[in-house]
Amino acid sequence: MSAEPRLEATVSLRVNGEDRQVHVEARRSLADALRDALGLTGTHLGCEHGVCGSCTVLLDGGPVRSCLVLAVQAEGHDVVTVEGLGTPDDLHPVQHGCLEAHAFQCGFCTPGMLISAVALLAENDDPDDAEIREALGGNLCRCTGYESIVAGVRRGAELLRLDGEG
Amino acid sequence: MVARLTGTSVHRVEDPRILTGRGRYIDDLAVPDTVQAAFVRSPFPHARVLGIDVSDALAGPGVVAVLTADDLARVAADLKPAGPADLRLPVFGALARDVVRLVGDPVAVVLAESRALAEDAAELVEVDYDPLPGVGDMDRAMEPDAPLVFAELGTNVVHRSTHRYGDTERAFDGAAHVVRERFVQHRHANVPMEGRGILAVPDPSGGGLDVHTSHQSPHALRMHLADVLGVPGHALRVRCGDIGGAFGQKSGLAREDVAVAGAALLVGRPVAWIEDRVENLTVGGQAREERLDVEAAVGPDGELRGLRVRMVLDQGAYPQVGFPTTGYTSIVRALLPAAYRLEHFDFEAVVVTTNKATYVPYRGPWEVETWVRERVLDVIARQMGVEPVAVRERNLLTPASFPTTSCTGVELQGFDPRRTFDDAVAAMDLPAFRDAQAEARAEGRLLGFGLANVVEPAPVPPSLIRAMGIMAAPRTVQEARSRLEPDGTVTVFTSQQPHGQSHETTLAQLAADELGIALDRVRVVHGDTMLTPFNLVGTGGSRAATLASGAVVGAARAVRERVLHVASELMEISPGDLELVDGAVVARGAPSVRTELAEIGRLAHLRPGLANADGRPGIEESATFDSAEGTWSVATHACTVEVDPVTGLVQILRYLVVGDCGAVINPAVVDGQVRGGVAQGIGAVLLERSAYDDDGQYLASTFMDYLLPTTTDIPSIEVRHVHHEPTGGIDYRGVGEGGAIGAPAALTSAIEDSLAHLGVRVLDQHLPPNRIVELLDDAGYELG
Ligand code: FES
Ligand code: FES
Repeated sequence: MSAEPRLEATVSLRVNGEDRQVHVEARRSLADALRDALGLTGTHLGCEHGVCGSCTVLLDGGPVRSCLVLAVQAEGHDVVTVEGLGTPDDLHPVQHGCLEAHAFQCGFCTPGMLISAVALLAENDDPDDAEIREALGGNLCRCTGYESIVAGVRRGAELLRLDGEG
Repeated sequence: MVARLTGTSVHRVEDPRILTGRGRYIDDLAVPDTVQAAFVRSPFPHARVLGIDVSDALAGPGVVAVLTADDLARVAADLKPAGPADLRLPVFGALARDVVRLVGDPVAVVLAESRALAEDAAELVEVDYDPLPGVGDMDRAMEPDAPLVFAELGTNVVHRSTHRYGDTERAFDGAAHVVRERFVQHRHANVPMEGRGILAVPDPSGGGLDVHTSHQSPHALRMHLADVLGVPGHALRVRCGDIGGAFGQKSGLAREDVAVAGAALLVGRPVAWIEDRVENLTVGGQAREERLDVEAAVGPDGELRGLRVRMVLDQGAYPQVGFPTTGYTSIVRALLPAAYRLEHFDFEAVVVTTNKATYVPYRGPWEVETWVRERVLDVIARQMGVEPVAVRERNLLTPASFPTTSCTGVELQGFDPRRTFDDAVAAMDLPAFRDAQAEARAEGRLLGFGLANVVEPAPVPPSLIRAMGIMAAPRTVQEARSRLEPDGTVTVFTSQQPHGQSHETTLAQLAADELGIALDRVRVVHGDTMLTPFNLVGTGGSRAATLASGAVVGAARAVRERVLHVASELMEISPGDLELVDGAVVARGAPSVRTELAEIGRLAHLRPGLANADGRPGIEESATFDSAEGTWSVATHACTVEVDPVTGLVQILRYLVVGDCGAVINPAVVDGQVRGGVAQGIGAVLLERSAYDDDGQYLASTFMDYLLPTTTDIPSIEVRHVHHEPTGGIDYRGVGEGGAIGAPAALTSAIEDSLAHLGVRVLDQHLPPNRIVELLDDAGYELG
């Protein structure tokens, strides 16, 4: 019944390089905490059951579905959301690659795709198309047919390598 | 010198925002004091509601209100979908009152301080249901003893009509071959990645509402909502921000819209509802469930002489407010001959109601005409033992045929279907493929080739609307406004409502070129009924490139004229000797004699009478664009596949679209539209299905059951454009629908081709691996 007290917790985590504290119900997901408590609405919820990948963020550098991670599980961890990649005036190379490739249409899947791509490129800085498709296989996009996204990530990888050399 | 933007793949204006997570989707809005809504929904496809006990729910933490149909009735009238006289339409409430008619039917809405609390409380609403037999199948629905979805209609067959063109009796009497098949298209759905959502903010002074929503047609929603809620039009504002896809689903008036807006009026606080995925898949709207029985009379050389078609469409339980389903059957009828010769044609349309989700328009809502027509041509080819290419060549209209009027009364002109067809067939190198196919077959591998021709009416020709039987054919006219700001930038107001189509870029490209300014000097404003010109449909039916383009160009030209007038006064040079270059008005031939646009914008605002004789400040002009005779874009889709006989998996080896869509504003945007549409068509065939059992229980409410294509399911899609015949005017033609229309036809054609030698016929559009294995089994195929 409804009268049960709801568990709440204060969670300390690092988000996009800043130390943050959020007070949340224990049952709330990391996505909820990011969006509602921290106002980081770039992380999108497309299914809330772990399939679409829209909510993907980096947790200690690895991609996770923030709809499946509890906010309290992020205690003491490092989270990177799309807001932590680049700004409109200073795009991350992967964002720039996607801009050049017209990678996205409605933009709803975009943040999750970008995060998955960044995670891939951290492991493999020169992936071929098959590797890119494999890495993005858990991110659904309804608009593009994926080809432009693959091209955007490929271009992003190129820009990232150039950055590395520069 | 600013280079011409139109025709080039300039980067999207939307992207810096979209790519950095700064988009503003409906769930990103935060208005203080908002309460969150959660719906209590029926688990039964059909049941009587004997009682609703909300007391436990009301006592839940953070609960503000629990509203049922009776509560809502205090502020909202019943929904009365409009449609033609021969379509029986029920009247129903936004919340179900005495009877629920589908799984997910909303019976109450809970308002609470957070969505989680609202969902908790929704679980506590006790609804006493008395289950009734449901009907989840169109054939069962048509039986005389079937349970009635709406008892008051007295039948589940809500529409029946017949049309005859020419003399099919004669065509069949003289036929060399007759083909008879039943083609079944499964129910599937638009599935935008962002579900629906609405935030209704009551005006504190009472009576009014500011509605934020994820919708394709803000003006239509405003009209419908004002009507149902009795809110004066001037007090209701609808606004849309970024929209995470829609594909037709976010059109019309949804019952949730009424419930949420009504709830806001009742509780006097902002109310938000963000649809979750289960809701979206269950009740967000579904499409395409149609069956066509076809008889074709064929001449000795494979010419199509006559067709008899009976189409049954399953519209689900509650008809959509805004789009009567007879619109789909009649456009299928009108377009079915497409770019092929056909003189004799009988068409019967039947619409049935069942205990399923509302049938909504989905990208190219008439898609089944292409699928069935192209399937019929393949069947003819197999029956006669000739190439599918040959049958199409035999029947396609040639350049000499144009202009022409189809037997259904549709005037066709301005395109050449043989151009795209011949190009596509040549590019696929069919003879080489046939060799490869034969070799593969010898090794037990299954390769197939398929193709389809699509004509897309965009902008819609008036003759098509007349052919659909809509007598007072509304002219497809659209308005845009353009304003020169005091700083020399330009704002364009469009009635389009983009949801991924990149209007902020393409419309800005057009305006920037007309005014000789850079892209970043133009801002496109959309999605606010207070600011933008009225347009009933919003974005849909590829209206942006085709209609908004003309209006935007017209409004920009009108602004240019005003600018030249002002400059002429200031510079004392006649307007004819001035031009707009690089953000300034310059004297022709003497570019150093110039006045910056910013200066003109400033003075036009500050000096009464300078820009307008009547003293109006500023330069703001509007223009309309009338599509006149309309235009057609055409495309040929061709693909090759390999089918794995063990797993039933289909691998697409190559997919090619050759299209003619007139002039192209932004090639990357156009290709993106085509590819996205093709991907949806591929998903429809290989994966997606809104499955129900026979009683109407819904079986696909998560992404684990409703499968969408991922990166590994969609191949690289080649898109080629053939040169259009420039008309010299505004000649941008629609491509938004064509990809999704052509893909199911081309893909099923290829799959059948790969299995045809085994005797397999593809008559269902849904071909997931298990279905392919079944088809092989049924054909007696033994694994080697
Ligand atoms: S929202 Fe997390 S995977 Fe879909
Ligand atoms: S761009 Fe719309 S879902 Fe990917």
